[in-house]
Amino acid sequence: MSDFQELIKSFSNIREYVRDFFVYGFKTRSDFKHKSPRTYDNQRRRLESWLAPYVRKDYVSGGFNLSLAIDSNLLDTNPLFQVWKTKSFTDNDIQLHFFILDFLQDGKARTAEEITDRLLTDYEVLFDIQTVRRKCNSYAKEGLLHKQKSGKTVVFSLDNTLMQWLKSNENINDALAFYQMAGNLGIIANELLEQLDVQNQIFRVKHSFFVHTLEDEILFALLQAMHRQTAVKLEVKSSKREIKNIVHCIPLQIFTSTRSGRRFLCAYLNGSRRFSCFRLDTVKNVFLLEEAENYQKLLASLERNRPYLWGVSFQSEERHHLERLTMTIWALEPTENYIVERLKREGRGGTITRTARNTYQYEIEVFDCNEMLPWIRTFIGRILSLECTAKSVERRFYKDLQTMYQIYGIEDPADKQHK
Amino acid sequence: MEIFSEIYSCYYRVLRHLLSSQNPLTIKDIYNRICQEGFEESLLSIIPKLENGTWNLFKKEGQLYLSKLSPFFTTPLTDLEKSYLKALLSDPRIGLFLEPTQSEALNDMLAHVPPLWQQEQFCCYDRFADGDPYGDETYRRNFRLLLAAQKNRLYADIDYNSPKGNRVHHYYVPIRLEYSLKNDKFRVLALEHHHQKRRKLEILNIDRITNVQLTEKTLSPSVDINSIIRNSYYKEPLKLRIINKRNALERAMLHFANYEKNTVKIDENTYECLIYYNQNMQTELLIEVMSFGPMLTVIGNERFLESLKGRLKKQRVLYHLP
Repeated sequence: MSDFQELIKSFSNIREYVRDFFVYGFKTRSDFKHKSPRTYDNQRRRLESWLAPYVRKDYVSGGFNLSLAIDSNLLDTNPLFQVWKTKSFTDNDIQLHFFILDFLQDGKARTAEEITDRLLTDYEVLFDIQTVRRKCNSYAKEGLLHKQKSGKTVVFSLDNTLMQWLKSNENINDALAFYQMAGNLGIIANELLEQLDVQNQIFRVKHSFFVHTLEDEILFALLQAMHRQTAVKLEVKSSKREIKNIVHCIPLQIFTSTRSGRRFLCAYLNGSRRFSCFRLDTVKNVFLLEEAENYQKLLASLERNRPYLWGVSFQSEERHHLERLTMTIWALEPTENYIVERLKREGRGGTITRTARNTYQYEIEVFDCNEMLPWIRTFIGRILSLECTAKSVERRFYKDLQTMYQIYGIEDPADKQHK
Repeated sequence: MEIFSEIYSCYYRVLRHLLSSQNPLTIKDIYNRICQEGFEESLLSIIPKLENGTWNLFKKEGQLYLSKLSPFFTTPLTDLEKSYLKALLSDPRIGLFLEPTQSEALNDMLAHVPPLWQQEQFCCYDRFADGDPYGDETYRRNFRLLLAAQKNRLYADIDYNSPKGNRVHHYYVPIRLEYSLKNDKFRVLALEHHHQKRRKLEILNIDRITNVQLTEKTLSPSVDINSIIRNSYYKEPLKLRIINKRNALERAMLHFANYEKNTVKIDENTYECLIYYNQNMQTELLIEVMSFGPMLTVIGNERFLESLKGRLKKQRVLYHLP
């Protein structure tokens, strides 16, 4: 283990390990069949080091399980943000980072030659001018430095006005403390908070899926493509199979579920001329391609289709254009009016009609009623009838219900009467 | 622009703190700081580099390390961070935090920066439709007062309409503000003021609060909110058996990722998962478990099992109604 390095070069290599170790939390060394034991051991050691306070080890036959004890009710930040802070660097990188930024704190513009000279005189470190110029250019690209050309001379400067403003406005710190867990790309808010030396001690966030942060690099690339309105090539790896597929599509929108913990890219497939959704955790790489000329038209078309989307499916198994689902439920008035409120709040635009005392009918037309089943099941105990033009949905609901009756030994009241 | 960059790395952060120190540091001080802020094995990488001068960031005077940086060293923002802040300015909740003048000032400083995303590029398709009214003046006022009370550990005089329609008036100290992404609502986790030793954590929806007045009374002893929450969990967790059909395992693992859980493989296709919860979470957890249908089997605890069976019994009776 002498060559063990705590830091890593590429995020994508570690992404699947973190997910497997900590989302599932029951995989042992023998479960990682497609990786070498040495790779497994090194990755496991890194994860234990980065996430030490949250790692739980349970000994089982055949090794031990590593899992992450994450209870969002108890955490002020997302522990998985740590994984983003593990990028390796060279000895030059870290020295140049501090010395260049320190030297330019006064806001004055300097050439790479001047900076190189002053690093030697003021900080007693010797670098060649090309190395300093390369770092200054790279920092100008990241936005840390401002690069200006005057004639043939290129000068670099630093502007701390925004950081000073953030430091002097406590309200923005509170906002960042909130958005790091409750918003998109929360890792960036977390990095800002660290720069400001602020820790969240105010907010807790429910129904936030910490594991989403592992997809943020993919999300970032997709947002750039959407901003530029370009097509993309995606490398997609199915969660069930190990095969990678290549997909060419036009990215339009990110769909998020607050219940299932999944995020999707909604995109248009030119080849089959239809919309489709890809889980972000299955997207391994994004390559930006040419500008999509019909981008605005596709967005408008997606907007027209949206009222008929229950989740992310644009077509049912039965391949009808639209399916209609009608559910009648029992809610005792007025004490159980909250059930009717639930239908309004969670029903995604379905109509609700009071058909008799204590009886309400919910009706909706969507592309794929199969996606509704998990939600429909949450009303078990109140469902008087369920009808759907997609008969397979009806069958599945009643079959699953029968299976549940069997599992939990719920007798048929009619049988009881006969006895 | 890169999210995965050494600029944001843990080592850079630790070094920034060490280098900002105005006082000479001993190697012990450096050790302690790395142990506090670094990863578990960071000491092994950082200390030799500082000791042998490969990272020539300190002047050595005998056994002491003196920073070569100025005490006012500040890292400026990257374009990624600026672009992120610009996107936040369009979020409907930002008005809870920033005054209009502050939003305007920040917007001016970011005038030439494109936002990292637009609100319409995201669609949260299963979020509840009755989210909190973030633009409402009373709501904003109450939110800010509760935020101030939380930060200063102040008791607040709160008028509240309970979900059952009762008007409640009490002194509470807000311990945390909790946001639910699913409900799109803020709640206050608060301790009620009374003289008994044992205090119970109350949860109040901010949009049900009609009035907040700050008092001068502060919460004196420090409160460990996590112990209060942990102590509220049932001793017996929910025990689920998962048969890995229709991708049930992966779906369940993600779905319940928010809860403290422990999953064990029983055989090739069967798994057992323990989920820790309290009374406040029970109904929501029951609904979540029911949404999986027969793909999950509840095998414990008795309390949970009885609630589930109760719903199924009611369903079986309803199906036979004329």
